[in-house]
Amino acid sequence: MAIIRRVESRAKRITLWVMGLLIIVPGAYGFAEKMRQFILTLNTEEGAGFTIIPIANYFLIAGGMACLFGWAMCNGMFGNVEEPKYTMLDHERELDEQDGVDWSKQ
Amino acid sequence: MAKATAIAAGNAGTGRIVDTDRPLVDEKLVLCFFIASLSYVLIAMLAGLLFSLQFLQIYPFANSEFFSPGRWRFVHTQGVAYGFIANAFLGALHWAVPRLTGNRVLSDKLSWFILFAWQAIVLATVVGVLSGEAQALEWGETPVWIDPVAQLGLILVAINFLTPILKVKGPMYVTLWYLIAAFIWTPLVYAMGNFLPEYVIGGSAAGAIGGLFIHDLVGLFVTPIGWGLMYYFVPIILKKPIWSHGLSLVGFWGLAFFYPLNGIHHFLYSPIPMFLQYGAVISTIAVELVVTTVIVNFFGTLVGRGDALRTNLSIRWFYIGMVFYFTTCLQCAFQVTLTFQKVIHFTDWVVGHAHLVMFGVFGFWILGMMTHLLPRLMKARDWYCNRWNHWHFWLSGIGLFVMFIDLMIAGLIQGFAWRDLAPWEDSLTFSTPFWKLRTLTGIAIVVGQCFFLMNVYMTWKHMRGAASTTPMPTPTGGGEPAIA
Amino acid sequence: MFETRAGIFLIAGFGFFILAFIVMAWVPIAIYQGEPELSVKELAEQGLTHEFIDLAERYPKQFKEHYGDVSEESFAAALKLGHKIYVGEACWHCHSQQIRPVSNEGRRWGGESYAEEYQNEFQRPVLFGTRRVGPDLIREGGRKSNDWHIAHFYKPTSVVPVSVMPRYPWFFDSDGYPNKKGFAIITYVQWLGSWHKNYPYWYNRGPALPTKTPEPPPGFEPTVDDEKPKTGVAMSDAETNAGA
Repeated sequence: MAIIRRVESRAKRITLWVMGLLIIVPGAYGFAEKMRQFILTLNTEEGAGFTIIPIANYFLIAGGMACLFGWAMCNGMFGNVEEPKYTMLDHERELDEQDGVDWSKQ
Repeated sequence: MAKATAIAAGNAGTGRIVDTDRPLVDEKLVLCFFIASLSYVLIAMLAGLLFSLQFLQIYPFANSEFFSPGRWRFVHTQGVAYGFIANAFLGALHWAVPRLTGNRVLSDKLSWFILFAWQAIVLATVVGVLSGEAQALEWGETPVWIDPVAQLGLILVAINFLTPILKVKGPMYVTLWYLIAAFIWTPLVYAMGNFLPEYVIGGSAAGAIGGLFIHDLVGLFVTPIGWGLMYYFVPIILKKPIWSHGLSLVGFWGLAFFYPLNGIHHFLYSPIPMFLQYGAVISTIAVELVVTTVIVNFFGTLVGRGDALRTNLSIRWFYIGMVFYFTTCLQCAFQVTLTFQKVIHFTDWVVGHAHLVMFGVFGFWILGMMTHLLPRLMKARDWYCNRWNHWHFWLSGIGLFVMFIDLMIAGLIQGFAWRDLAPWEDSLTFSTPFWKLRTLTGIAIVVGQCFFLMNVYMTWKHMRGAASTTPMPTPTGGGEPAIA
Repeated sequence: MFETRAGIFLIAGFGFFILAFIVMAWVPIAIYQGEPELSVKELAEQGLTHEFIDLAERYPKQFKEHYGDVSEESFAAALKLGHKIYVGEACWHCHSQQIRPVSNEGRRWGGESYAEEYQNEFQRPVLFGTRRVGPDLIREGGRKSNDWHIAHFYKPTSVVPVSVMPRYPWFFDSDGYPNKKGFAIITYVQWLGSWHKNYPYWYNRGPALPTKTPEPPPGFEPTVDDEKPKTGVAMSDAETNAGA
């Protein structure tokens, strides 16, 4: 008796896309702005030193994150985005039932 | 006890190991981490309370070098960060990661080693700072000779947990994503904050690194683990999937790509041209939106199960923590502006903010997890006394909220008194009533924790008494009617 | 693992993270290698403070016992220990060492902080501070007498009744004289800001950094310049001049 999969409502999908865009657009803009700041700061004498450290690191970490994203894509992890939340609960229920925890009552 | 074999049968194709019948979760280990965490929380909070007495000129051990208030302030912050929060997170991770992945951690022996090594690190830190050997790094006051050991410990923790996580083949649940990020960031952040200012960079540039360290410690170590665990515990306690997994992934990747650089807003008064700093506002808004997605998702999950706030104490801890989280983030958005910085920097406002983040958010989440898990880990049917847990909740919650408001107002008063060039003593006189209230709230919080510790002890004692006669079934976690 | 695209991504990802570690260690070292940073010895060579000499004269027996003669070496030793105490006793949790260019802070303490004054061994890690319960200390040197500091460290409320600073009786021996730690912390606090143009004793002497102090002659007594009284008023005057 697995957790019932529901078709995601339209409202939810719209929320997802709107929030996604709301994050990506200002996020990307702010990001570009930061980059501009850093490039300008790099040209100042005393600023160069301590801006290049966080920025180099940031790029490397972001690169690593992008690779992880690619890894997830290749493994088809975003094929059915909503699936893991159900399998997680199914799995948890099985484990709990082995421990004698009753899931039938809320 | 859940066996790895049994699960594998029901979850073929998810890469779960079948080879052994050892338990998936080492429950004793989790319990040990939680007990360690609870011991430190008491020590750390008493240290904070003790330190607050100094502000009222009634410090009881004024002539003792070992009990010097300044040194006990180190114990307060270090105890909370590395004793309370880190231990509790390690415990919760040892519970959640194997259960989510179906794989045991890399090595049980390594886990036990980490348990003892971590306690040794924290104890050495406490002894070190009490004997006056601290390092002048906020949140990193650990004496310099402990830093490399702690760094190594963090890398071992990362390896121990990343192994089972990366074995997962199917689509990954959002918690695991948060944890991957946390295990990668934490050692990096720790190395940056502890070694660079000590050995490589001097002067004001190091100040910027220090600011970034404090920021990232919260943002890249505590936050991802905290949210990751929330995404695990809230659905399993409500027995209801998270509202939108897609949205949670959007939130995660938003954090992953946009958060790290945000810490640079600690470069205020740096050579970055002033007019460009306004660009930072946009990024801050983006991060606010990331936070909003998370909040929307969790409150969306709660819809239809709102009664759980009343009936389930863990859920109440979690959601009040989320409300505080949103409050802190909102506060951050103002704090990063230069206008606010002029007044609030160096004042009690910042102290209130730090308390809200560390205790009001992550502390509350941890206490919620403990409320849910501890009876089960102790093989007890339920808590010895649920009423005590409610006292714990209300004393901590009200205590913290009043403290936060109190310190926020005190901070503004101090900031304006300084700016107006009032004699320095005036700022102390003005603050005294607020400090008195702060001590009272501190007492409330400590008493609250005592209720919880008492309850843990009595539950354990009760269970030991009962264990000889009856087998232990059905723990219920924190699900009980709310009587406050 | 290596043959699939996913595997390559995974390995590349972790490669990036490891690279980040390496870069984080290497880039700062490469950049900051040539950065001038004063060692304790060099700081001591910039000149002894009058307060240090004053301590030696006021408590000759105790000073001799702990630090020997008045010299650059003993000054450096006292500064170093004083800094260690400043960090270890968490002084920096309640006192900042950073005067910000806002909120009239320059007027209150005399002169905003500038980057070069943090380029020395004592600012590693930097002691900007995090909270100001007590006042900022980066211009503290020479503002108050040694006597004031001794009384204040022994019992702060004896000189500032509303003070919430802890007592530090372990900076004093059983007879009530400052011990090694006491000399050290007073030397350190009285040294803070001695490089600054608003440092009281050097107010009229011109250069921003004090020149080397001549060896004190026998019977030397520290004097205060009569023309400019060292009071709070003089301080803000000095700042106005400096700004002009």
